[in-house]
Amino acid sequence: MANLSVNICGVNFKNPVIAASGTFGFGKEFNEIYDIGVLGGISTKGLTLEPRLGNPTPRIAEGYGVILNAVGLQNPGVDVFLREDLDFLKSKNIAIIANVAGRTIDDYAGICAKLDGKVDMIELNISCPNVKCGGMAFGIKPESVAEVTRAAKGALQKTPLIVKLSPNVESIAANALAAQKGGADCVSLINTLTGMVVDIERRRPLIANNTGGVSGAGIKPIAVRMVWEVCQAVDIPVIGMGGITCAEDALEFIIAGARAVQVGTANFTDTLAMPKIIGGLNSWLDNHGIADISEICGVLRLNG
Amino acid sequence: MREQKVKILENGPIAAGIYKMRFALPEKTDGLFCGKFVNISVGDGAHLLRRPIAICERCEENDLQTVTICYQLKGAGTQAMSRAKVGDELACVLPLGNGFRLEEGQRRVALIGGGVGIFPMVSVLKEYAGTGKDFNSYIGFRNRDAVCMADVFSSLSARAEIVTDDGSFGKKNNAVAAFLAEYESVKPDVILACGPTPMLRALKAGLKERGIAVPCYVSLEERMGCGIGACLVCVCKKSGKEENARVCKDGPVFEINEVEI
Ligand SMILES: Cc1cc2nc3c(=O)[nH]c(=O)nc-3n(C[C@H](O)[C@H](O)[C@H](O)COP(=O)(O)OP(=O)(O)OC[C@H]3O[C@@H](n4cnc5c(N)ncnc54)[C@H](O)[C@@H]3O)c2cc1C
Ligand SMILES: Cc1cc2nc3c(=O)[nH]c(=O)nc-3n(C[C@H](O)[C@H](O)[C@H](O)COP(=O)(O)O)c2cc1C
Ligand code: FES
Repeated sequence: MANLSVNICGVNFKNPVIAASGTFGFGKEFNEIYDIGVLGGISTKGLTLEPRLGNPTPRIAEGYGVILNAVGLQNPGVDVFLREDLDFLKSKNIAIIANVAGRTIDDYAGICAKLDGKVDMIELNISCPNVKCGGMAFGIKPESVAEVTRAAKGALQKTPLIVKLSPNVESIAANALAAQKGGADCVSLINTLTGMVVDIERRRPLIANNTGGVSGAGIKPIAVRMVWEVCQAVDIPVIGMGGITCAEDALEFIIAGARAVQVGTANFTDTLAMPKIIGGLNSWLDNHGIADISEICGVLRLNG
Repeated sequence: MREQKVKILENGPIAAGIYKMRFALPEKTDGLFCGKFVNISVGDGAHLLRRPIAICERCEENDLQTVTICYQLKGAGTQAMSRAKVGDELACVLPLGNGFRLEEGQRRVALIGGGVGIFPMVSVLKEYAGTGKDFNSYIGFRNRDAVCMADVFSSLSARAEIVTDDGSFGKKNNAVAAFLAEYESVKPDVILACGPTPMLRALKAGLKERGIAVPCYVSLEERMGCGIGACLVCVCKKSGKEENARVCKDGPVFEINEVEI
């Protein structure tokens, strides 16, 4: 049994496998299928100050090896989360990451202040492509990434801050650096890539929102490349995600420099994806005689 | 609900473009009630989403627990499912959703089914067979080639009216119109319906127009992500409220006035 535990910004994860925001709710439903206490952590559905109803349906479509979604940040609001969902997650003894979004800089600061000290980490979603005011505006330019990060950090006394980066930008490494300069304790990436599927009979986009965020197995090579670029650019820890479906996928991100990984779409393809990935990491490390997962973090050597 | 690898015992066509698949469950599974559904992998790597399909029939013989689903070949996913062979295994989560439940006082039951919406109605008939319920079924198909399971409706209902859009089998009519025409003589205690959205809208409008206040439960369809209530992909609007319901978890069965259709 290799040691799978990792420490990120002083937060202990019993293994580096974290449920990705928006695919796992607040954990209750998946816990009906397996004990989610086996996970390293969970990033919650994106929370906002007020409840949101989200986009019209259909909210999802498929491409080859990928899916597109445009849920549009439907969530019950941060107060309901704190009142009704947090205790359950605490009882599971896993690292709790609150994923948050807002319309304005004040929204981000306000929601961070409400969550400070109540969760293990906060993940700033400045990269949701599916709502006009979902924070994506802040996620594009390095200056605004730094600004919103600074505002969020200023509202936090206790809880470490992750900034989640959008891949739909000129340079994700530059934005990662901007987040670090703004005071981020950690960055996570990638959020979804903006895409479209057309219903040729109706000659309309299939998703009600017209465009949706592309995720799943097919985006993995792009995500690994971006994680690697960001790991070169910043000194703070990096959490990688995008298309991870098995332990070998997770290892690509870890070798490229990610301290931990998040798993999203794979939970739809197989509800047991995450426990299988954790088991797979264990056997891979054992088979390779590696005693601790941190030994292979960032060991990527480039060719030539 | 449980994640399991189900083993295919039977998979073949029963009408034009309609397949029936029967599979065995490796793990003892409770709650396989009528109106619930399964979320099943189509068995290839290209499709990351599972397909939600209603439980049509369930069976327990000795230690063998089986479930039958019937599905229409629509897009690439159901095409892939149709190529699965006897003995193949498919990943599946089941049972999902709330299902149709009849109360004791609800003796006279009207069933309205259109297209693939007839399969949950089959599950209701099988579930409640021999429990003293009186079923009147109104079942609509596109044309005679699409007709299937007509014998189940005829044998398990007090009366079954089978109609087609073009009159090539039974009367030329639709299921909702057939039901409304007989409403006064049947006076059901409860109405259960499943079918395409336009059919459910017509039903809602028809009930309203005639001032029929009998409880009416409908099963809705929506595109799904997780299928278990976690991702909020499959929502519908609750009537008169600033609130959504999840079709996969809070439904798929809703009282017809409770949600916007
Ligand atoms: C609760 C429930 C029960 C159902 N029961 C049955 C049944 O018993 N028999 C049957 O033939 N069909 C049933 N359906 C519809 C069935 O899920 C779709 O026809 C099927 O998913 C189409 O897949 P595809 O790959 O052929 O089509 P594609 O169009 O290629 O599918 C693309 C994506 O859209 C989704 N999708 C497409 N149409 C629908 C739809 N009408 N409802 C939900 N998702 C859709 C698919 O699941 C997939 O994720 C049910 C749907 C729901 C929600
Ligand atoms: C249905 C769905 C909803 C999502 N909702 C959110 C969200 O609320 N906040 C967020 O930061 N990311 C959200 N994401 C993005 C994922 O957390 C993740 O970044 C992305 O899907 C890539 O990982 P994957 O390929 O493993 O899914 C969502 C993704 C999906 C598929
Ligand atoms: S499909 Fe995920 S909540 Fe219904």
